[in-house]
Amino acid sequence: MKKTELLNDLFSFENKVIIITGGAGAIGSALAELLGNLGANVVITDINQERVNKVASEIQKATGKETLGLVADSTDENQMKELVDKVVAKFGKISGLVNNVGWGAATPIWGSDTEKMVNSYKLNTLSAYNLTKFCMPYLEKEENASVIFSNSRVGNTPSPEFIEYSTAKAALLNMAKSMAVISGPKVRFNTVIIGSVDNGESTLDAGFTMEMLQKINDSIVMKRRGFPADIAHGIMFLMSKAASWVTGVDLTLDGGGRYESKMPKKED
Amino acid sequence: MSLTNLFDLKNKVAIVTGGGNGIGKASALILAQAGAAVAVSDLKLSDAEEVAEEIKKGGGKAIAVECNVTDDDHLVNLVERTVKELGGVHILINNAGGGGGGRESPFKIDVKRFAWVFELNLFSAWRLSQLCAPHMKDGGYGSIVNITSMGSINKSPNMSAYAGSKAALNHMSANLAYDYGPFGIRVNCVGPGATKTAALASVLTPEIEEKMLAGTPIKRLGEVEDISGAVLYFAAPISEWVSGQVLFVNGGGVQTLD
Repeated sequence: MKKTELLNDLFSFENKVIIITGGAGAIGSALAELLGNLGANVVITDINQERVNKVASEIQKATGKETLGLVADSTDENQMKELVDKVVAKFGKISGLVNNVGWGAATPIWGSDTEKMVNSYKLNTLSAYNLTKFCMPYLEKEENASVIFSNSRVGNTPSPEFIEYSTAKAALLNMAKSMAVISGPKVRFNTVIIGSVDNGESTLDAGFTMEMLQKINDSIVMKRRGFPADIAHGIMFLMSKAASWVTGVDLTLDGGGRYESKMPKKED
Repeated sequence: MSLTNLFDLKNKVAIVTGGGNGIGKASALILAQAGAAVAVSDLKLSDAEEVAEEIKKGGGKAIAVECNVTDDDHLVNLVERTVKELGGVHILINNAGGGGGGRESPFKIDVKRFAWVFELNLFSAWRLSQLCAPHMKDGGYGSIVNITSMGSINKSPNMSAYAGSKAALNHMSANLAYDYGPFGIRVNCVGPGATKTAALASVLTPEIEEKMLAGTPIKRLGEVEDISGAVLYFAAPISEWVSGQVLFVNGGGVQTLD
């Protein structure tokens, strides 16, 4: 096989239909555009009709691939069922799913309550469980089908500032691995642990100030927060044919992490 | 970064140790297909030459270098020749390794043998990183990929030397990622599960394979291309914000010879 042919083959998403929840956000739309450019028909979901329509039409324009924007509330089980029906009615199949929806605000560790904790679990964990379950009959029919779970550094490190979000994400991490061990060889399940990414508005909504963000940039090994494309690239690799023997892993995309040492660094 | 640049290794130079066969060969070939000039090094020069020849036949650029990675003079020579003949070093694939087949009881294992396993799997990767990093820094691009093993996290009988050296390789890589990161050099590991190489074929029986597959969600053993795909991911600009990671490519399972 010739050079470019081999690489094109490994990373082709021609004839694939990929659902990305929260696909109108920064990371979701970067991924949708990347997969569209690699040949996929992408379905993005969002809770806001206007936003999802706008982003879907932008992606369709940029990639030349038919792109569907659907309003769906990931915390509503029936809407997740309907979403699957709509995608199958439109494209006839589902080749991949990216459970990208998720969010959590900073909360003092003893400042949460049953309702907030359960709501976080519904949004970050149950949403992915339900949609994955409804997609499974279709995924099982497709070659190299895979499911990606967007996770966060809060999901595998102590995160007292984000007690609702972090516990729900920790549950999601374990869930992905459980699905992986039982569902091979038909469907692969992998997680990306996402470090500090410039998500635009939603980062500021989560309680970060510009000063805090600058501090984070300085503390990261690669000296910058991630771009949405950095995350899209990692997810695309895990979904590609190049990773067809990869399942049950969690790949951390975090710019090498943050310096933890308080000791002064000797310069070379 | 445009789509076509994600895997573009044109004007990049890669060193692959143990590049004459198996995972090393597949890695050398895919890096060359992405456009890199490759220094293929191997204990056996003729094996390295065959791979370099294959790369050149496909229109790529390559040299073959004989290299015993436990000999410091060889490592210095490998980097010097690469810089001289290919113009720099941007990518280092520390693939050479071994010593996992010995299965020495910890009651009996010879001190020299234990030290040799660490020299082969750990010291060589550290030293080559040290030799290459200044060139990566000067060249404005650096990615080091260390081939580790499921042995680095598995517990198996009579594997303390090999498993210990590979676990050390994982953690050394994470620490080097911190040290080299600010200079634009990334350090990651790929951890293959049981992969169909000559090394595996020498110990694989149908019974062992059946047991391995029972513990593997994706019901097949690895092909060398499964591993080289992950090597390409870490070597190429597509992973420019990823460092300090270990990616296990193992079909979701654990395959042991026990």
